[in-house]
Order: sequence, then C-alpha cells, then structure tokens
Amino acid sequence: MSASAHERSGAPGAPRVDVLLPVPAEPTVSFSISFRVGSQDDPPGKEGLAYLTGLMLAEAATENRSFDEILEALYPLASGYAVRVDKETTTLTGRTHRDNLDRYVPLLTDAYLKPAFAARDFERLRSDAVNDIENTLRYAQDEELAKAALHAFVFEGTPYAHPPEGTAAGLRNVTLDDVRALYRRRFTAANVTIGLAGGFDDALVRRMAETKAELPPGAPATPPVVSPRPVDRFEVLLIDKPGADASISFGYPLGVRRGERDFYALAVANSWLGEHRNQSSHLFQVIREMRGLNYGDYSYIEAFPEGGERTMPPVNVPRRHQLFEVWIRTLPNEHAHFALRAALRELERLVTRGMTREEFDLTRAFLSKYVRHFAETTSRRLGYAMDDRFYGLEGEGHLERFVRTMDELTVDDVNMAVARHLRADRAKIAIVTGAADALAKALADGAPSPIRYATPKPPDVLGEDREIERHPLPIAADAIRVMPVEEAFAR
Amino acid sequence: MSRIIPYPTHAHALDNGLEVIQVPMPSNGLTAYWSIVRTGSRDEYEAGRTGFAHFFEHMMFRGTERYPADVYQRILTEIGADANAYTTDDLTAYHVSMASEDLETVIELESDRFKNLCYSEADFETEAGAVYGEYRKSRTDPTFTLHEAVVEAAFDVHPYGHTTMGYEADIAAMPKLYEYSREFFARYYRPDNTTLLVAGDVDPDRVLRMVERHYGDWEPGYRAPPIPEEPAQQAPRRVDVAYDGRTLPIVWLAYKIDAFDPANRRRVAADLLADLAFGPTSEAYRRLVLDEQIVEHLDAGAAANRDPGLFDIFARVKDPAKIDHVLDVIDGTIAAHRHAPPDAERLAPMKSRLKHGFLMGLETPDSVAQRAARYVAVGRGLDALEALYAAYDRVTPGDVRDAAAYLAPERRTVGVLRGRE
Repeated sequence: MSASAHERSGAPGAPRVDVLLPVPAEPTVSFSISFRVGSQDDPPGKEGLAYLTGLMLAEAATENRSFDEILEALYPLASGYAVRVDKETTTLTGRTHRDNLDRYVPLLTDAYLKPAFAARDFERLRSDAVNDIENTLRYAQDEELAKAALHAFVFEGTPYAHPPEGTAAGLRNVTLDDVRALYRRRFTAANVTIGLAGGFDDALVRRMAETKAELPPGAPATPPVVSPRPVDRFEVLLIDKPGADASISFGYPLGVRRGERDFYALAVANSWLGEHRNQSSHLFQVIREMRGLNYGDYSYIEAFPEGGERTMPPVNVPRRHQLFEVWIRTLPNEHAHFALRAALRELERLVTRGMTREEFDLTRAFLSKYVRHFAETTSRRLGYAMDDRFYGLEGEGHLERFVRTMDELTVDDVNMAVARHLRADRAKIAIVTGAADALAKALADGAPSPIRYATPKPPDVLGEDREIERHPLPIAADAIRVMPVEEAFAR
Repeated sequence: MSRIIPYPTHAHALDNGLEVIQVPMPSNGLTAYWSIVRTGSRDEYEAGRTGFAHFFEHMMFRGTERYPADVYQRILTEIGADANAYTTDDLTAYHVSMASEDLETVIELESDRFKNLCYSEADFETEAGAVYGEYRKSRTDPTFTLHEAVVEAAFDVHPYGHTTMGYEADIAAMPKLYEYSREFFARYYRPDNTTLLVAGDVDPDRVLRMVERHYGDWEPGYRAPPIPEEPAQQAPRRVDVAYDGRTLPIVWLAYKIDAFDPANRRRVAADLLADLAFGPTSEAYRRLVLDEQIVEHLDAGAAANRDPGLFDIFARVKDPAKIDHVLDVIDGTIAAHRHAPPDAERLAPMKSRLKHGFLMGLETPDSVAQRAARYVAVGRGLDALEALYAAYDRVTPGDVRDAAAYLAPERRTVGVLRGRE
C-alpha cells in the first residue's frame, strides 16, 4: 500500500517528473499535472476565474486541434483527461492504455502547454458554469447546496469563501483576457508538479519532464492569507427554498492537517462519530438506524466534496485550511430541529466523555484496514502521492502514516486531540429548508423540539428522545440569517 | 476469438442452484465478494408494492438471530471492510470489498443473512423512514422527476413503468408491509435466484469449498413472479412535466427496444447506434453542444435489460425556446440513420473504444465485479459478457441501420421537463 514516491533524477538541473509510481505489470498509465493556482486566487468580483481557466485547458481547443477534433482523437482510446479546480490547486488528470500512449500523450500535453483559449469554447464553458450555480446547485442538489453554504459561512471574508466553481456574477465578469493572463502568470514551471503511475517507461518520464521546460519558468506562487474568523457561538444560515425538505450541514474551522499526529488521532474520533457512508458511524446509528429520520449522517475533518457520489475520500483537493463538518442528510422540515440537536448532543458526548477503550480499539482496528480502500487503484495512489507533495509529506506519505500511527495511538491521545480541537457548544449551521421562517423562530426560541413517529419506537429510544428534544442549543436571534435561494452564490 | 476479460474465470453451480463465479486476478491483497440476486424493481408486479425490492435491500442489513445487525456491523468494522448494496430494475447486488485474509469471515456473515434473515417489526418500520429519506434526497433532482414520468408513460403494464425507488405513496405505506416482506424474502432470496461473484487473489478451489460449506444447506425454492408482458406500443406518447424549481429544460426520448441478448444482432448494434448518433463524436453532439451551444448535455443508450426495455436519448437544453428545435435535430438524426447505414470507417474507432473502455474499467476486483454484475444477473453469467463483446466486434453498418428501426415514432415516448421561469 506504499504511496511514497521514488524520484528519478536526470542530469543535475534537468527538469524531472516529481512523482513516479512504477507498476510495471499494469496495462495503463495514469497522469497528474498539478498547478499551484486555485479559486483562492480569484480576484474579488471575478470569482470563477481559476475554474474557467482550468476548464479552458481540459475541455476546449488547443493550438493544434479544435475541441471536437480532440474528442474525435480521444474517442477510440476510451481515454480522456479532466480537470479538478479546487481552492489551492488546479489538477489535470488522465489515464490511458499503454498501447495508446503515442496517440494520447500529445493530446494531454497540448492541453496545458498549448491551450488555444478559443472564444466559442469560453462562451460554452461559462454558460454551463453559470447554469451549474443558478439551476443545478440552487434547485437540484439541496445537500450540496447546504454544504457549499456552510463552507462559505465558515470561511466568510476569506479567499476560501466562494465555491471553487465561482459565483454567478463572478463568472459573468471574467473575460478571456483574464483567463489568458492567469494562465501566463500561474501555469508555470515553478508552480507545476507532475506525476506518473502505472506501466510507464523511461521515454515517457523524459517526455513528461520536458514539458516542464516548455512552460514559462515563472516565480513560485505565494498563496493568499486565509484566516477565518473564530466561531464563538452558534450561528445559523437558513437558505429559504420553498417546497424543500431540510438538508443540514454544520461545522467550524479546524487547525489540523494530515501529516500531523493530531490529525490521525482526530481521524479515529471522527470515524467513530461519523465515518462517511458507513453504518458503523455513530451519527448514522442514532439518527438513521434507530430512528429512521433520514438516509445518512456523517462527519469530516477534511474537505469532502461530492459526498453523495463517492464512498471514499477525494484526491486533488489539498487545502491549507480545513474544517470540521457534520452532514445530516435530507429530512422532513419538522424533524430538522430535533436531528440537529441529536447530532450536537452526540458530538458533545464525544467532547466531554471521550471515546471508551472499547470504542477506540474497534475503530482503530477498522481504520487500520479500511484505509486500504482509500487507494485501491494506481490512479488513486497517484492522487494521494500528489497530495503528499502539497502537504510536505515526501518520504512517508499520508496513507503510510495513517497505518503506522494507528499502531502507536492510545485512547488518551485521541481524547486529548478531541479536547484540543472539537467543541459542541458553538458552530456555524447551514440549512436548506422550505420552512425557513418557522425554523428560524424555533431555533431562536430554543423550546423543546419533540418529534412524533409514524410507527412505535422502543422505550429506550423514546427515553433518549426526551433528552434530545431538550438538548441545549442556545441561538441568539441576531445569529440567524435567512437567505432566499436566489441569492445563494449570486456574487 | 480473444476474450474480453483478461483473467481466467471459473463458474460452478451448487446442488441447490447457487451459482459461483470467480475471477482470480492480481489485487494488492483485496478481494471483492458480491451476492447478486436476480430480483429488482422489475419483479414488483403487485399493486402497491413498488419500491419493495429496494426497501428489502435495506432490510438485509438488519441482521439474524446469530448475528444481529449490531454484531454483523461490528464484525465488518473489525475487518475494515467496505460493504454496501444497490438495487436496480433487474437485480439487487450486495458487495463487500475486504482484505483477502478476511474472505471466510465475510462468506460466513453473508451466507448467514441470506439464509436466516430475521428482523423485528419495529426495525422494519424504522427502516421505512430511512428509505423515505432516500426518496426525499432523490426527488430534488429534476432528472429523477422526469425519469419517473417517462417510464410511467412508456409502459402500460410492465413493472419497468415505475422507478426502482417506487411511487411515493407506496413508500409511505411500506411500514405496514411487514408480513409481505417475509413473503418477499421467501419467494426471491433463494440460491436458485442468486449468483456469487468473487474477484481478487483467490484460490478458486478453496473458495468453492468454503461456499459449499456455508451455503450448501440453503433451501432452494425460487418462485418466478408472473411479470406481465408489455403490449406493443401503437402510437407516439408525450408527457410534459412542470418542475417546481428552476432548472434547465430536459428532453428525454424513450423508445421501446428488445431485451438484452448477445445473439440479437439488431439489439447489439443499438448500443453502437447510441454513440454513433448522439455520442461525443456524433454530428448531433457537434451541432447542438459545440457549435450552436443550445444543449448542455447530450447522451443516449439502452440498459442491458432482462425484458424489453427502453433506448433513451437525453438532452439538457439551455434555452426553453429551443426545445422544439432540439427535438427536430434529434428527429433528423434518427431519420438519417434509419435511411442509410453509417460509413464503415466510423465503426472501427467505436469498437476500439468499447474494448479499451472495458479494459480500463478493470482496475480493481471490485470494479471487475461491478462491470460484470448486470450481465451475470441478466445474461446468467460471464459468457454473456464475452458473447456481447464478440458480437460488438461483428457489427456491420447494415446492422446499425437495422437497429435504427427501433427508433420509430410509434415506439416512442417523449418527456419534456420545464422549470419555473
């Protein structure tokens, strides 16, 4: 499961590929080309510039081919390349069968060396991006909307606030000249990391290394300062969407990053509390399994975009700043207050009581093996190795550290890390709901929020419900904001 | 003829009818263990029972006397397994990916729940709430809303006329169906309706012995449901859906098409036709998506279905005023393909894409099993998959033109969804 990369150096000073994961028997080759530029670099009023620039590399014409010619050329190879624009990085990834390298590599390298920045492509990509916000995100993905709203809320006033995809007004303000300028300034040899994995040979390593020399040299990027305001009470953002059920996300900034010992200690606590898409998750047990209120309930100590579509953590979203986040999946509006209290109450119990030795032993055993599923494929291992470069984890990578640290941690280490970093008496809360006014009033009143079940429940569940419905959730009236859905990510 | 799966495969059947398919392959110490039940929403022929196959998939995680749900979950947690399940129209699949050394533990757990599932009425009612939650999550998506309306309009009697999620009224009524759920288990969760698919660095003989030991006493007794045959559609149909929210308009054309059958040349060619006519290198794609830029997403295809199903063409339109124009372009594309066979040189890149796409998808034991699951369920084994890819290779331009005959107006249901302006 080693995700560490060994490096092959050419002549001194010669460009080289940064991350190499050879798997000689593998019939495919995976590529990763990552630039240190992301949505945090968007100028105010042009939110979405980095996103559009990334798309103009991956989904548009190059100097040698129009975009439909590119599609035509990639088609028989059943291969492609895609871009992930995140807060800090823009990463092109691709994979092809070894037999097709001669045809594939020129297409991939042209994408980042020779983008054409054709106006027709730009208009197409921009209108799709605006639609994604104004239609899809606002009206078709309540859970993703709540999560994006939480991230904006937690990082309010920082370059991390807007989604990587930008805002509707920001996207409309971006010009093709802005895109060209960002490309010239930031898509440079000084800002690129190149990775190869699978069944590649030395000639391919040389070719990929040469592409560095074909980029302008540039200066290393200086990332902007991101300092989210500390959260010192409960604050609520209600996205008023008529007709919607309730989708809830809450959290706060977290000053722990992968590589640090506390991260792995927190990973144990977080796994016990809310391992993504896992029935062992405690939140899942309390809210879904025992009460049937919704489809799932999870928690995170790292950004986890597209949670509804993936079972394992994403790669290529490395960030200097993370947040602790709880995701309560869609449920009826009349259960929202109760479910929020139930989740906060479980978090409070974790913070005040810590994990028991038994819970710790079981969760540690689980993670020691489960982490193998994080990188089952060579392309995923490459993604982790590229992220390791970002986090400065060369040598012993994140996944190896994960496994090793599991062997070393004690239950006290975990509980101390929880005490240091997690709180249950404050959080920013984002809720997409069709009952914003009623929910705002209920949250401000802080009255008990009993729920009625359609079917009988066992006495122990009903007994615990008495505690949950009264769980203290003090929210000042001035800490509740209601935003019409039409205004979400408008600017 | 070279095989499409680049690994040896082994197939056996136990005396009780349980099929066991194994794909030994290099896998970094991971094994995928899939239990595939040939029952899905297709089998929901009784009124008021839509969505039940999917609901039942949830109940399969509610434990047995020997391994109650919390114990089952605890053991899977101890071994760090990645376990889940899904339900579709033709099958329900339960899948576990784990370290190879834990295979026997998983076989014991899985065989126990398939033989001895046992849950309380209270658990049953609670799970109904979780399923309703899943429906709530899904219905915010306009594509889901339109899909629901299109299949309902397209089918008069066949259960393909409802989605796997089922009708909301039926989901709301599920908590009252405890007795029926036991009946459902007895009817369909039988060895003679199930295939085990095991991929990874396994020793096939050893695995087969383990399977015999744990599943050998599972009682056969599958009762095939009386699925009504859909009468031939006589005239075009149309359904307009108003979506309560903002969305780009969506156009969904669904044509009646034959069931999956690798020996049916026309049906096999239809898979190629979908991409030739509407895929990323098609004339329609170039025109609607790249040049005129009035469609944001276009694709087409037909699922490998057990009974005659649908050939779908799907387009998200950027401008509500252009819906009719998009329908005209799609109609023109179909007319051209019905009229004349494609140029022979267009088939070679497609066949290459099919082959390479399949190979690229075999990255892990779990992805091998995932690719194969539908063919195992619908075609009764990996031979069907091999036969399909061999048949793709033999498709001629004439076959593609014959396949275009499926896309006749009288076989069509048009669905158009519009949002609030």
